[in-house]
Amino acid sequence: MFFRILWKSFLKRKSRIAIAVISVIIGAAIATALLTVSLDVNEKVSYEFRKYGANLLVVPYSDTIEVGFPGVEFGTVTEQRYINESDIWKIKTIFWRNNVLGFAPFLYQVITAHSEQAEQRIVLAGTYFNKTIQILSPYAPQDSQTFTTGVQAINPWWHIKGEWISDQNDTSSCMIGANVAEILNLSVGDTFSISYIDQYNSTDNGTMYNLTVVGIIMTEGYEDSQIFVNLQVAQQITGRFGKLHTIQVSALCNACPVETFAMEIEELIPYVEGRSVKQLVHAEMDILGKIEDMMFLITIVALIASALGVMTTMITSVIERQKEIGLMKSVGAENKKIVALFFSEATIIGVIGGILGYLVGLVLSQFIGLSVFSLSINPRIEILPIILGISIGVALLASIIPVRRAINVEPAIVLRGE
Amino acid sequence: MDTEIIKLNKIAKIYDENTHVLENLDLVIRLGEWTSVMGPSGSGKTTLLNIIGCLDSTTKGSVIINGKEITTLNQVQLTRFRRENIGLIFQQYHLIPYLTALENVLLAQYYHGSVDEIKAKNVLNRVGMGHRLDHIPAHLSGGEQQRVCIARALINDPKILLADEPTGNLDQKNGDLVLTLIKELHQEGHTIIVITHNPEIAKLGQRIITLIDGKICADSSCMEN
Repeated sequence: MFFRILWKSFLKRKSRIAIAVISVIIGAAIATALLTVSLDVNEKVSYEFRKYGANLLVVPYSDTIEVGFPGVEFGTVTEQRYINESDIWKIKTIFWRNNVLGFAPFLYQVITAHSEQAEQRIVLAGTYFNKTIQILSPYAPQDSQTFTTGVQAINPWWHIKGEWISDQNDTSSCMIGANVAEILNLSVGDTFSISYIDQYNSTDNGTMYNLTVVGIIMTEGYEDSQIFVNLQVAQQITGRFGKLHTIQVSALCNACPVETFAMEIEELIPYVEGRSVKQLVHAEMDILGKIEDMMFLITIVALIASALGVMTTMITSVIERQKEIGLMKSVGAENKKIVALFFSEATIIGVIGGILGYLVGLVLSQFIGLSVFSLSINPRIEILPIILGISIGVALLASIIPVRRAINVEPAIVLRGE
Repeated sequence: MDTEIIKLNKIAKIYDENTHVLENLDLVIRLGEWTSVMGPSGSGKTTLLNIIGCLDSTTKGSVIINGKEITTLNQVQLTRFRRENIGLIFQQYHLIPYLTALENVLLAQYYHGSVDEIKAKNVLNRVGMGHRLDHIPAHLSGGEQQRVCIARALINDPKILLADEPTGNLDQKNGDLVLTLIKELHQEGHTIIVITHNPEIAKLGQRIITLIDGKICADSSCMEN
């Protein structure tokens, strides 16, 4: 009988219910749109940030020794340490491994570059360009067994004249920074030579290595002054086989601080430490935080407006139905039955408004995504329960005052026939 | 000896210091009695009926219905007491506009406890509305609506039926039909209180009480005694 009353009451007051549902739809649609945009844009903006390079630098721990006599300090010396190349795959086995977008190892050495026009001491950087590495079990048996990564993956924004080094075993090609190209007067396709003399362990007496320029890098950063070769080339020239100076890691840290990545990497490779590139991380989190705050405020305002809309409609409904409520009470309805009737109506309004609002919100999110962020927004079904909860909550909250009014209806007054 | 079913002892209803709707009113109504209440507008007839019907409270005095002092009951207890003991018949019927005749009767049953559709149909048959079960009030005549209202009042088998101008909005023919029904209910043993302005209807009762300014100025039972 309760549902019969509820259903027929709904049918009888279609226009009033429609107004209340529309109020909820507006609130739910804005909440859906902003929540979807917020979640999606956060992720996409994070990806965008990641395009601007690594946000985590992995370096070996180094011991610092103080040098001098008692009372006379000469300063400190630091023992040169390396990361083993054989450990690099472990970065892709941390708990947040799916959030590791890429990494690139680096081995640096100052060498002498010789071209027909000039000779210059320049930093040679050995790295992976786009290398497929094995992710070994048992650390991550559920993961893909291979992972392709390198500077191309973590720095897709680099402007390249020419092309990337595509063969990970290519020992004769290099990419040079724009400044190097200018100093040595080199263009794509030119060949030049480099030499390296190890002053401490004379393993090499200045053997000349010929390299062909396949690409010129323009970043307006320090990369413009470096020569990039496959890691094995740098290791060969310097005699540091299997050794690295640093690993640059690009981690998507939307839901977790980048420090978490660092800690996990340190646990897996105990002789390294992870240093977050704080400036970038903080700028990113700051911008994302502001976007979230703004969207949260707009959502709250929209939900308040929605609640006011529902409340106004429900109060009008209670006023219109005073005789009906009085009659129900006169034939024996206790207040809890009246409360149940109105709260059930509010719940149904919340459910219908929530579902329709969610659908409208998805369309709205696309509009916001494309017009404001120039991004296509992915619909998220997982926020539907949240939106339903919010919609029902708003409808119920908005019904408190009308319901109080309903239970205060005095049948003796509203049913007076005179 | 007749059983007292309603006993009002010096009841008063005062809305503010200057509005005394009922004053020191004593009234005893016996089981199965048909009492007609007359009086000019504003004399306190409806207030008296509302107090007996547990829809309104007294400012002072005691009200004992079916052996229970109701002035001490809270709102929930009053509601329960009303639905178990009292049937209300309104001048304006007060049917829920979006429910059918049958559903309007079932509504009272639902608030009383369980819904028994067969019983509801029987009661509607009894008041001559068996052929209009699925009609909403807007599709029923005034007389038909009043008969549905009576069916609703009867559905929970109350001992007391309170009717406020039950024929006030009806034509002669429909009014007679409703009064015939009330007579039958009285003959079946229901205690009936009818408010009316019509002396002919009042005479159908065993007893006529006349209220003026919140006081009983005439009681036919007293005159007989």
